[in-house]
Amino acid sequence: MRRHWDQVVLHAVLILILSLTLAPFVFVIDNSMRTNSEMNHSFFGLPKLGHQLFAGYAYAWEVLRPYTLNTIFVCVVTGIGVVLVGSVSAYVFSRCRFAGRNTLFLAVLAFMMIPGVLTLVPSFLWVKKLGLLNSHWVLILPYLAGGQVFAIFLFKSFFDGLPGELFESARMDGAGHLTLYWNVVLPLSKSVIAVVAIVNILGTWNNFLWPFITNSDSKYHVISSGLYLMNRSNVSSNFATMFAAYVLASIPLLILFLYATKPFMQGVTSGAFKA
Amino acid sequence: MSLRRRNFASTAAIYAMLSPTFGLLAVFSLVPFVWAFVTSFYDYEVGGESRFVGIDNYVEYLHDPTLLPSFANLLFLTVFGLLIVSTVPLAVAKLIFCLKSERARYLYRVLFLIPIVVPGVAGMMIWQGMIYNDTGLLNETLRLFGREDLTRGWLSDPRTVLWAVVFMGFPFAGGINILIYYAGLAGISESIHEAAELDGARGMTKFLKVDVPLVMSQVKLLTILTVIGTVQGFEGMFILTKGGPGFKTMVPGLWMYMNAFSFQRMGYACAIGVILFLLILSLTVLNMRYFRSSEELKAEGA
Repeated sequence: MRRHWDQVVLHAVLILILSLTLAPFVFVIDNSMRTNSEMNHSFFGLPKLGHQLFAGYAYAWEVLRPYTLNTIFVCVVTGIGVVLVGSVSAYVFSRCRFAGRNTLFLAVLAFMMIPGVLTLVPSFLWVKKLGLLNSHWVLILPYLAGGQVFAIFLFKSFFDGLPGELFESARMDGAGHLTLYWNVVLPLSKSVIAVVAIVNILGTWNNFLWPFITNSDSKYHVISSGLYLMNRSNVSSNFATMFAAYVLASIPLLILFLYATKPFMQGVTSGAFKA
Repeated sequence: MSLRRRNFASTAAIYAMLSPTFGLLAVFSLVPFVWAFVTSFYDYEVGGESRFVGIDNYVEYLHDPTLLPSFANLLFLTVFGLLIVSTVPLAVAKLIFCLKSERARYLYRVLFLIPIVVPGVAGMMIWQGMIYNDTGLLNETLRLFGREDLTRGWLSDPRTVLWAVVFMGFPFAGGINILIYYAGLAGISESIHEAAELDGARGMTKFLKVDVPLVMSQVKLLTILTVIGTVQGFEGMFILTKGGPGFKTMVPGLWMYMNAFSFQRMGYACAIGVILFLLILSLTVLNMRYFRSSEELKAEGA
């Protein structure tokens, strides 16, 4: 009987913490469907059915649609690039013998020690000199360069753990490295690919400062920089529109999350995250 | 001869396969890294002439009016962040781990992960516009209880602004930290718990004496990440306060950003960046050396 009550208390505490965690988002959804005057009249209240509940959403979507498409494009290209470049290099480091292998691998890992705060300003000056400002490439190429390092690390530790016999028997059948990589290793790596892709998409989706300083042309804004500029424009005086924009900006990742909960949780729980 | 040629060909192929990685790293990571140090010795404005000034930028930063307040704020933010990251998510992970139902454990882990779908910028602006606003949740709740006298602009009152910034994200339970700790707790073998119970350890004692030491490698990881993230981080201040009022929430990273992009002082900004890099590097090395993770403790004990 005591055990039973322990469980009830655990649930109660967890539900309390969870409610506090999610409360701001509940208020956001609630107030995205209320007008300014309703909100000023009483902060705590539910949307009134009937009149234009989704007016804020319609307007916010008009502003956000191009930014959303830009972000998705950059995320997809970066994600595919990081998975391809990262897995090929990791395969080479894991399965090929060549002069300088360890040195080169350590050199790659050393790049993890360079903090973004050091390179933010010179990177900006450099891409400006390269003429990349106001393009999708100014986001994709640096994200690829930075994102691949952690991907190589994760892929390599996974490839190192694959049984050696697998490769020997495939080699006996006359398979070259390309066949091994494409037909044997990649199909076995779906879970790691999912983790690498998701970590990258989250990073790209959330990055704010870099897109904000490199793309002044609104044609190339992404969600983060777009939301920030929206909040500073006169749109922000209409609370419902801003709150609707926050909700809309969260939906793509929510869909990804619902679709990929399992691989994501497995990835984090796999033991790659410890020091 | 043919064998050697084949080796040569395959070595060439290997380097060719690695070339995208090293090409990207050279152009987009190595060049900015080197350039940061070089620029820090110049007086350089975009469009203007650049002039070699030696260590003048560094000397000037030593006398910068933001130096003391911004590093004091950084220390406060780091200590607060470390206290939070080593307690709340670990406690919540342990609570979830103690549930008997497998399905409930999974469900809570998923639900606590939901906040990661909200873009970071949106999350901060939600706290700004929904919680700390004049007519936001905090003030309206105070009014509800008849405490109009306590209401204020939480982000503009110099007495509350720093606390308002660190309490963003309360109760600090959302996100992947819980999962990282949960993985650590799940990795502790059942026999250790049984042995501890035979020795009479129960409840809180067992948690502190058995679980906590055995998730030290997770604590270590999150500690390093928190320190690195806090020293570098200034997005929150940039979006919410711009370092104000006064220098109340100024941090070195934000001052670097403002020098580069508001005052066009690229050389000075790079010097601040170099100092932050050296700080991060030394903190990481210290952490690696003196903070023993559980595996290292085990290895030493054996």
